[in-house]
Amino acid sequence: MRALIIDDSRAMRSILRRIVNGLGFESAEAGDGQQALDVLESGFNPDICLIDWNMPVMDGYTFITKVRDNPEWRSMTLMMVTTESEQKQIVRALAAGAHEYVIKPFTPDAIADKLELLGLRATEVPA
Amino acid sequence: MSVIAPELTDLQAVVEEVWSTFVGYEHPLCVRQVPAGTPLDSGVWSGAVSVTGEWQGAVTVELADDVAVAISRVMLDVDPSESLNDDDVADAVGELVNMIGGNVKSLMPGPSALSLPAVAAGRAVFPSDAHEVARLDLLWTNQPVRITVHTPGSPR
Repeated sequence: MRALIIDDSRAMRSILRRIVNGLGFESAEAGDGQQALDVLESGFNPDICLIDWNMPVMDGYTFITKVRDNPEWRSMTLMMVTTESEQKQIVRALAAGAHEYVIKPFTPDAIADKLELLGLRATEVPA
Repeated sequence: MSVIAPELTDLQAVVEEVWSTFVGYEHPLCVRQVPAGTPLDSGVWSGAVSVTGEWQGAVTVELADDVAVAISRVMLDVDPSESLNDDDVADAVGELVNMIGGNVKSLMPGPSALSLPAVAAGRAVFPSDAHEVARLDLLWTNQPVRITVHTPGSPR
């Protein structure tokens, strides 16, 4: 299983990387939506993208719309991981194509539970 | 003019949740009483986010240097034997204020938008019409941490 972590904060990417790697995922990272599109175009094919909302250059919402506009990526699983907690914004992200929504702060268990709900379980957890 | 501000108990709950989730429980955050207008009693890092929309304001986090470095090590998973640079600390402080500010925003009337964080090695700067409406002074590992909420307009 592969995860693409998209957040402008290296600290947050580090936290998420430790969580998903601990769950047995291989991970790649991007600092904004445009960098994430570049990673996808380079051939990294993630099972899930974990996406912050507020980022410079390209925000997470725009990234979702770009992914959903591309037939090659349309089936990719997308999960917002953000401080944005307004109901209207959550609905907007889900309507644009996000499958799940996690509000910061989160626990490792919350991320693991959401991944399991999405049917994403790594086959082998590293020792 | 009445000013809408978060309750101190709510602000404290937000800070404690963010702190315990990303920094850990090993050392407690303790509330301390500090007279209004007292500057933080050490060298600081500060971060700020602004909220615009139905509610307008700014949330700042000020941390003693040692606290900023310690939380950066935890958040970035950097070993004590490895050095941190200012970019590392700015990144971690920025994410901390982003999470605290985002959760303060959720306590206030919406809709509103949260800015990207601004971080400084030093005290935060405020617009001349900004007034403090809530302040939480804390100690972590015996070092000061201050969370402040400012709004434009008349003081409370």
